[in-house]
Amino acid sequence: MQTRLTRIGLILAGAGVLAALVVVFRFGSSGPSPAPELRRGGQIVASLRSEPRSFNRLVSRDYATEVVTLLTQGRLARINRATFELEPWLAEGWESSADGRTHTLRLRPGVTWSDGTPFTSADVLFSLQAVYDPKAQSVLTSTLVVGGQPIKAIAPDAQTVVLTYAAPSGPGLRLLDNLPILPKHKLEAALMSGSFAAAWNSTTPPAEIVGTGPFVLREYQPGQRLVLERNPRYWRRAADDGALPYLDRIVLEIVPEQNAELLRLQAGELDLTSSELRPEDYVPVREAEKQGRLRLIELGVGPDADAFWFCLKPEVKAKDPRFKYVQRPEFRKAISHAVDREAFAETVFLGAAVPVWGPITPGNLQWFWADVPRYPHNDQEAQSLLATLNLHDRDERDGETVVADLDGVEMRFTVLTQRGISWYERGTAVLRDELAKIGIVLDIVPLEVGALIQRLLACDYDAIYFRPMATDLDPAGNLDFWLSSGSAHFWNIGQKTPAADWERRIDTLMLEQAAALDPARRRQEFNLVQQIFAENLPALYFTAPRLYYAHSARLRGVVPSVQRPPVLWSADTLSVTN
Amino acid sequence: MRRAGLTLVTIVALVALGAPWLAPNPPGRSFPQSLYAPPTAVHLRGLRPFIYQQRLISRLERRFEDDVSRPVALHWFADGRLVSIPEGEGPLLLLGADALGRDIFSRLVYGARTSLALALAGTLGALVLGALVGGLAGYAGGLVDDLLSRITEFVLVLPAMYVALALRAALPLVLPPATVFVLLAAIFGLLGWPIVARGVRAIVASEREREYVMASHALGAGPWRMLLRHLLPSAAGYMAVQATLLLPAFILAEATLSYVGLGFPDTVPTWGTMLQSAANVSLLGQAPLMLAPAAPILLVVLGVNLSIQGRGRTPVQLEP
Amino acid sequence: MTAFVARRLLFAVALVFVVSSATLLLTRLAPGDVTAELGPFAAPAEVAAARARLGLDRGPVEQWALWIARVGRFDFGDSFLYNRPVRDLVGRATANTAILAVVALLAATAFGIPLGIVSGSRRGTAATVIRAVSLVCLSVPPLLTSLLLVFLAATTRWLPAGGMTSVDALDGRWSTWLADLATHLPLPALALALPIAATFERLQAQSMAEALQQPFVTAAAARGVAPREIVLRHAWRVSLRPICGVYGIAIGTLLSGSFVVEFVTAWPGLGRLMYEALRARDIYLVAGCAAMGGWVLAAGMMVGDLLLAAADPRLREQGRG
Repeated sequence: MQTRLTRIGLILAGAGVLAALVVVFRFGSSGPSPAPELRRGGQIVASLRSEPRSFNRLVSRDYATEVVTLLTQGRLARINRATFELEPWLAEGWESSADGRTHTLRLRPGVTWSDGTPFTSADVLFSLQAVYDPKAQSVLTSTLVVGGQPIKAIAPDAQTVVLTYAAPSGPGLRLLDNLPILPKHKLEAALMSGSFAAAWNSTTPPAEIVGTGPFVLREYQPGQRLVLERNPRYWRRAADDGALPYLDRIVLEIVPEQNAELLRLQAGELDLTSSELRPEDYVPVREAEKQGRLRLIELGVGPDADAFWFCLKPEVKAKDPRFKYVQRPEFRKAISHAVDREAFAETVFLGAAVPVWGPITPGNLQWFWADVPRYPHNDQEAQSLLATLNLHDRDERDGETVVADLDGVEMRFTVLTQRGISWYERGTAVLRDELAKIGIVLDIVPLEVGALIQRLLACDYDAIYFRPMATDLDPAGNLDFWLSSGSAHFWNIGQKTPAADWERRIDTLMLEQAAALDPARRRQEFNLVQQIFAENLPALYFTAPRLYYAHSARLRGVVPSVQRPPVLWSADTLSVTN
Repeated sequence: MRRAGLTLVTIVALVALGAPWLAPNPPGRSFPQSLYAPPTAVHLRGLRPFIYQQRLISRLERRFEDDVSRPVALHWFADGRLVSIPEGEGPLLLLGADALGRDIFSRLVYGARTSLALALAGTLGALVLGALVGGLAGYAGGLVDDLLSRITEFVLVLPAMYVALALRAALPLVLPPATVFVLLAAIFGLLGWPIVARGVRAIVASEREREYVMASHALGAGPWRMLLRHLLPSAAGYMAVQATLLLPAFILAEATLSYVGLGFPDTVPTWGTMLQSAANVSLLGQAPLMLAPAAPILLVVLGVNLSIQGRGRTPVQLEP
Repeated sequence: MTAFVARRLLFAVALVFVVSSATLLLTRLAPGDVTAELGPFAAPAEVAAARARLGLDRGPVEQWALWIARVGRFDFGDSFLYNRPVRDLVGRATANTAILAVVALLAATAFGIPLGIVSGSRRGTAATVIRAVSLVCLSVPPLLTSLLLVFLAATTRWLPAGGMTSVDALDGRWSTWLADLATHLPLPALALALPIAATFERLQAQSMAEALQQPFVTAAAARGVAPREIVLRHAWRVSLRPICGVYGIAIGTLLSGSFVVEFVTAWPGLGRLMYEALRARDIYLVAGCAAMGGWVLAAGMMVGDLLLAAADPRLREQGRG
């Protein structure tokens, strides 16, 4: 027995020494190696939060489909997500008529699909046809109507397309950025037989997915990853006339959880994550950057800010005694005065945010207006505004003061927000503390996003704190938010007519600027819209976060954008150093 | 070993009972200047302990510094708390603060209350239900016994976590804390009763043949009286042992459910909701105390396992 | 024997039926439905079309009846969340969980049984150490173990910190796939196996100690049989009985434990799938997962019972069922 024990002891000791040696050698990690000039080839691994529900961007709007389409398909014209300029893409150039309603596009010659079939104007006509076909149930239909009518397209020859808009359009050809051109020779049969909605779904063999983009789908392992390889027939060439893309392969790993994503990024298993960093991830990434494994970049100010609004639907809220105060702009102005935006930015986004007073943030470079009316932090001003509404302090039990009117109706509200998001939790906590100082008591209720949406749509809430994402940076693409009849007019969804004079003015101005051709005039009208919005405050905005992003140190040619995906939108210029 | 186990469990129970007294801060109080703050170091000057107030240097980089110019003495037995710091100076964060600036130590001791109370409630429910069903089956025999035994086996076989998950997810995913408590206690009771019922049935079935039972039957005692006064008490020892097995299982079940987001909401301090912050594993390198609830969970389960060792029972891990 | 198998099969079918129907109805009755995945501002027509596709526009009983009819044809419906047939998703996920569970069970047996034999058949420091380690392992739940292991893996980078496969194994050869799997398995398998190994160890120690007290052991010792022979050849077979009994329950524990381990280590298994399905209320996927879970459970129990019959001839004689 003694010898057996000593034998076991020796083995254990040996294993311990071995383990110690491994530890020592592991932690003697190497520093970053300097990167020389451009290298062709190599692969990168990016992550996606969910699987694509389909490979057909015309019928599916989820994020994974969008990313795959960006990598494999092309558009006639592309909006550069860093400069926001419209660039010729599959269309080499165009002429527009004076009234802005007719556009003649010249297609780039020599472009072929990834299977060798030539790309012609027939494909453009086919794609538009699919968008407007009712049986196809396309999700892009509403984004590609002008003046309520579909865009008419004719093709005088194989290299020319003439688009006719039913009315003048402010965005003009920028609408084409929404339309990926799909191959007629692959999908025509599906469209004709009425099964387009199911065409190119996630069970389609990858060889069928043909495109003009820099990469081609090679393999899809459900639940795990998508593998894309470079398209040897990609039309675009680099500035020095070298072939693009530089990379041989992009792998999109499906990592459903953001914590797991970050872990893999730090471990070197991922080069790119699917979204910007959360404020609390800044420190671990900074550590990794110091060791040379990652690079931390600031994308810019985010284009969307968190919004706080009350449900302003008279049909539902008329019986609520608090509603007659909530619907007054003075009430909402008081709230805007009561919030110290600098402190908000400090606490909620850990200092990485800028104050905003309207829905358009400095991140939306082309449409942001710095002279939007502001409400400086001033508790006395807030309280005097409340006093003009005859709301005065009332002492409560537990030392809590609530303002109430002469009938004793207290300004106490329940605020719904999405649970599990740390900046919503901190934001609502700060709001609650700031508003308690002027006597408005908030009760925060975090909900699952499904339940939150249900109650939002039914106006079954007092107030909500949430970040609705705009679909388009151009306000003309967000008419469903700005127009009173819009489906995303979230404080009062499904209005039939404007409820107030200012809403009517905004409606008129928005429709005008959506149809105006002169960019200066559009800006002027939209600034006015922003002013009216800030004067009436149907929704309150406090800060817009600065977006940070991290990618592996081996990437080159990164052009960051505040829109998602931050790096993959320009995947054809990416390269790696090893 | 048995005594060590009992001691561990008693310590945790005492901490839970004395939570409002032991905790230096209210569990829901968030200190906006102390997000992810490191633990406050307690220094000794002679026999008097004191701390330095912590100053925030950079919020984004989570850097804090002790303000050595201002020592703050600890107050004892003030404000209904064992140890505290006057308002405005401090805060006293014995284990640091979490993502919302809440004191981890205070949440830990308050969390002991909720987690233990829930486990106790669930155990009680399982015991009552199990005793009823088992007693009935053992006493009635025949068809009733057969039917109840089949049902018991059936429920026993189901994987506990899947069932708890399904039952919990069937209801609105976010509910007020009191509702969640009652709900989880009910679910745990429903999951735990077959284990109790099986043993009780066996004991009651064998006791039923004893003379004193036949005697009281002859004297005219009704079935319920028999069950409650004679038969079930004989199963008391067994039920006590089962209770000690169920308790840690339910603590773990609550921790798991809260961790995946289907238990208590984050505002309620329980060991499970606190572990949720540990889900961000890359954070653990800089803020390892997010894993603090792991220690008391381990201690309770270990304590229970140790305390039943002496009886020669095998502590079979029935639920994760 | 055939009667036994027939009864078990009947039980299995009943289990699957009850469990999947219950979860289908539960999910249907739950507030909200999976169309919330389309986002807050989806067009009402789109939402209505999605609901019709899933059969959510019919009553719950009608939907259940239609689903049963489809299940009879082995068609479990489509998942809205992943936009593929439930059969494919559940099949793949179950295979992944099975890999994990089998490896964990094998590891638990390989560690627990021998250690239990050692600690049950002798006294002294080795036995005490094993017993102490066992108690600690029993007390650490898979939730904590997996969190800790993931953290260690992430900081030391010796092993991948989660998932089942890596990108590097893409060249498709079996050997690379196996090697890759071998690096991803230790983490979750260890987290899952530790408590079970400890249980086996304790049980084995217990029953070995009891078996060694049997009269036939004293007789063998008196005959002069070496101690090691007594332990390994005679006592062990008798002591196996309770272990085989526990194997059946172990399946249930494995499934339960695998849920939390899959969650923390991002292993694409059945538990994780069921959680995502329940969260999103993807009704057919939930029912499919529950059905598969029930099936696996019943199969595991059958295996456990067969093992028990193999270990104890007395049971075989009785034609136990």
